[in-house]
Amino acid sequence: MSTDSTDGIDGHVTEEITVTVNGEAVTAEVEPRLKLSDFLRYECDLHGVRVGCEHGVCGACTVQQGGRTVKSCLSYAVQADGAEIETVEGLASEDGTLHPIQEAFHETHALQCGFCTSGFVMATKELLEENPDPSREEIETGLADNICRCTGYQNIYEAVERAAEAMED
Amino acid sequence: MSSSQPAEADAEVESESESFTGQGLPRVEDHRILTGEAEYVHDITPENCLHMALVRSMHAHAEIVDIDTSEAEAHPDCELVLTAEDLKADYNPMPTGVGRVKIGGTGEAVELPEWSLADEKARFVGEPVALVVASSRYAAEDVADLVDVDYDTLEAVADGMKAREDEVVVHESIGTNVVDHEHIEFGDPDAAFDDADRVVEGEYSWGRISGVPLETAGVVAQYDDEADSFDIDCNIQLHTLVDETIYETLGYDADDVRVNVPADVGGSYGTKIAIHRYCCLAAMASQQLERPVKFEEDRLENLQGGDMHSSDREYEVRLAVDDDGTMRGLDVWFVDDFGAFPRYPINQVLKPLSVLTNSYEIEDVSYEYDLVLTNKTSQTAYRGFGVDPHIYALEMIVDEAAREIGTDPTEFRRRNLIRPEQMPYTLPSKNIYDSGDYPATLDRIQEIVEDERDGGLLDPEVVAAKREEGKYRGVQPSVIIEPGVSGSDWTDRQRSNRDALEERSREEVEELPEHLRAEISEDGTVRAFLATDSSGQGHQTLVSQLLADELEVLPSDIEVGYLDSVDAPTEYGSAASRMAVMLSGATVGVAEELVRNLEELAADHWSVSTDDVSYQDGSVELIDGDDSLSLAELAAIDADGDERRTRASYDYDHPATELEEFDEALTGKLPVYPTAAFGSNAPIVEVDVETGEVEILTFHTVRDCGTMLNPMIVEGQAHGGIAQGVGAALLEEFGYEANGQPQAITLFDYLLPSIENVPKIEMEHTETPSPFTETGAKGVGEGGMIDAPASIATSINAALEPLGLDEPADRIPVAPDHLRKKIRDREQ
Ligand code: FES
Ligand code: FES
Repeated sequence: MSTDSTDGIDGHVTEEITVTVNGEAVTAEVEPRLKLSDFLRYECDLHGVRVGCEHGVCGACTVQQGGRTVKSCLSYAVQADGAEIETVEGLASEDGTLHPIQEAFHETHALQCGFCTSGFVMATKELLEENPDPSREEIETGLADNICRCTGYQNIYEAVERAAEAMED
Repeated sequence: MSSSQPAEADAEVESESESFTGQGLPRVEDHRILTGEAEYVHDITPENCLHMALVRSMHAHAEIVDIDTSEAEAHPDCELVLTAEDLKADYNPMPTGVGRVKIGGTGEAVELPEWSLADEKARFVGEPVALVVASSRYAAEDVADLVDVDYDTLEAVADGMKAREDEVVVHESIGTNVVDHEHIEFGDPDAAFDDADRVVEGEYSWGRISGVPLETAGVVAQYDDEADSFDIDCNIQLHTLVDETIYETLGYDADDVRVNVPADVGGSYGTKIAIHRYCCLAAMASQQLERPVKFEEDRLENLQGGDMHSSDREYEVRLAVDDDGTMRGLDVWFVDDFGAFPRYPINQVLKPLSVLTNSYEIEDVSYEYDLVLTNKTSQTAYRGFGVDPHIYALEMIVDEAAREIGTDPTEFRRRNLIRPEQMPYTLPSKNIYDSGDYPATLDRIQEIVEDERDGGLLDPEVVAAKREEGKYRGVQPSVIIEPGVSGSDWTDRQRSNRDALEERSREEVEELPEHLRAEISEDGTVRAFLATDSSGQGHQTLVSQLLADELEVLPSDIEVGYLDSVDAPTEYGSAASRMAVMLSGATVGVAEELVRNLEELAADHWSVSTDDVSYQDGSVELIDGDDSLSLAELAAIDADGDERRTRASYDYDHPATELEEFDEALTGKLPVYPTAAFGSNAPIVEVDVETGEVEILTFHTVRDCGTMLNPMIVEGQAHGGIAQGVGAALLEEFGYEANGQPQAITLFDYLLPSIENVPKIEMEHTETPSPFTETGAKGVGEGGMIDAPASIATSINAALEPLGLDEPADRIPVAPDHLRKKIRDREQ
């Protein structure tokens, strides 16, 4: 994980923060205006965090903070000081085995361009943690904050259901 | 050159199957995406990289009196500020879609240059006026804020119909907003309209919508001072075709500008064809600074002035019909709003000629359009490329005609459908439908609808009870064609002398094949290279699946990468429901060539004739001997030779260039689409007459795209297309105020369909292979978006039929406020 910053430090007000990202503590000097999404993408090199709108509608930037999903484009890195963040990069096991949610998205063709996918995977993770056996309506409510422009949503429902089954076993 | 290693393919599928083609093999692209390892263009940030931001006009129409850059330049993080003046000294304007506009009675031709930064005048909100470069994206935006532009605002025109009157002229040098017009007649429409029992008329409008990919435009440009050349990473679509626009603007040869598109692009749907402005601006800045320059478009820029809107249209349509239900003649007139500049390539007004009469047999047709400029973002392509509004307008007038002659709209449609025995069917506009049984697909969808009437969503009792609650249910089935596999020679009809087309010869037609390369690696795996870019359609999977069959190896033995613009020949690429057909044809061709090469190589090695050897299961065997050479062994032998016979490349010719039936259309620069995928839809809609809101309860569809190479991808494309069609029909619109201010500049205003808006899709398939293509595939990229809006609109009309409203769905999107107004106006 790289923590080098190219963002101008000279003449800019910065603050030191420490955030635990996918289990690793990252300490960095950041400008107070640095979005959490940009912190994760550029300071932590976690490109699975994507920005589609940067104003809180599309959900591409969804990560978990303290176990709950947040849209990382809607908060600042300084607000995450001391927090635990989990991104899509933290899901697969060390040996490369995909998390059941990732596997289910793959098997059901629930992604095309994939730009929305990490956001959907993270939203699904929270949904299934809270409700291991969601109905279609509950899936609809759980994923209503994420937009996918390519796949329609039919295969995404199926991915969630398949992941739910796999995680139950 | 970027490439990717396929993920572990499903062992289960591999061991059980004879053939991978035709199976829903999960995609090799997925693993890297799901783990966050995919590299989209926004993820590329070279060492020493600077960041560009744009100063954009907040006025729709204004003289630029002065640009004061001093404060911006004084900012400590600022590296560069450029305006049009600077560009004009060193570079060229961007190529436009209407080369020269003929003006007035004199017919004098005038140029219409578009500079990458606004020159003297701003013509739409969001038009880039200056560029700045700074140490970070945040700092660049600070610096951009400090550029002080002094404008003199002018009256603007933002409505296509109004713009035709030329009261406000967008480009004073040409003195008119109507930059192109064409009236084409097929058969004898006048006679048909005179003879028919009646003429039905309708007016329909199609709002400004677009693809709105979740990934915005992005560019990283690096100028190499020593070589005097550029390296441009960007997410442009059709990078081997529209790269021309970049070379021309920069004033460099194609060999000096390497345009590379990453293996992963976050959606395009046609819209990213027009992002060359950004590529050029970043390249220019990088040349000035001799450092890499990166640009990441933000969503606000993308929505208001990001060169990514599609066109909007006003239609006046007439259908001549006899009282017995025969369609006699069709007359389509429309205005297509280009926005501020005629962008290249543009011809969304012409592609509808390829499906001129949709699934109906109508011989006598008049087709006429005006292309107008307004003070709005310039138009680019969007999934369907102008066919979607045409099909919508046509289905609306067909419905209206059925009502006027008092016949059942489904029966009326059936009576006029092109019949299977007429296939291949030549349209009046000279395109040919390859194969299909349209009446059978209508029969099937009608059966499905009947089932819904029998205790399902359309059960008469349920429908009546719902109506009591103010919820009106309805459906109107139809059969819709998706023209596939563009050969793009016709797309510069508007840059050609149209009178001269009469004498054009077949030799002058540009051929548009698709290119594929393959080579055997030393470890015996096969590497293939695509000359096209892709944005989620699974091209890598498709090629690995088909090549595995052809070479009798496993898909996991094949790795598929991409060629950049310098390595790839100038071929056409990913657009217009084309790649399944073209890539599958190219895969078969390249494999045959490779097998021939390998057999020769082995024969030489054993010093026997090629008749004595045979390729199978990934090795060449010596017939009547017990020797064989594996792919790895062949690669090792080949490494010592002078000519590489473990490499092959192949150009699969466009199917229409092979068939003389298409010659007339090709020489006349009429759109040629040699495959006709088709399907019937029956979306069951429910309209709340209090709120005007429409819910689609279920979207029934029966689809036929010829041979299904990978059914999983085929279905995925259809789901995605239908979802975009639902957005177009009900939610999306780039609205503009009369003064040209855009009203949809965030995703709070431009509404994309979410999981709550897209209905359950009940899909069935039939497979009628195309006789014109190598594999029988027909292409599926645009279906859904082409057919869903029309089907949803006619179903809304059907649902509200009991209220006696006059065509409530006469505009797209059929937004709640529109329907509410229609319903209330009638009540008063
Ligand atoms: S990028 Fe955060 S919600 Fe769209
Ligand atoms: S897969 Fe492209 S946006 Fe969801």
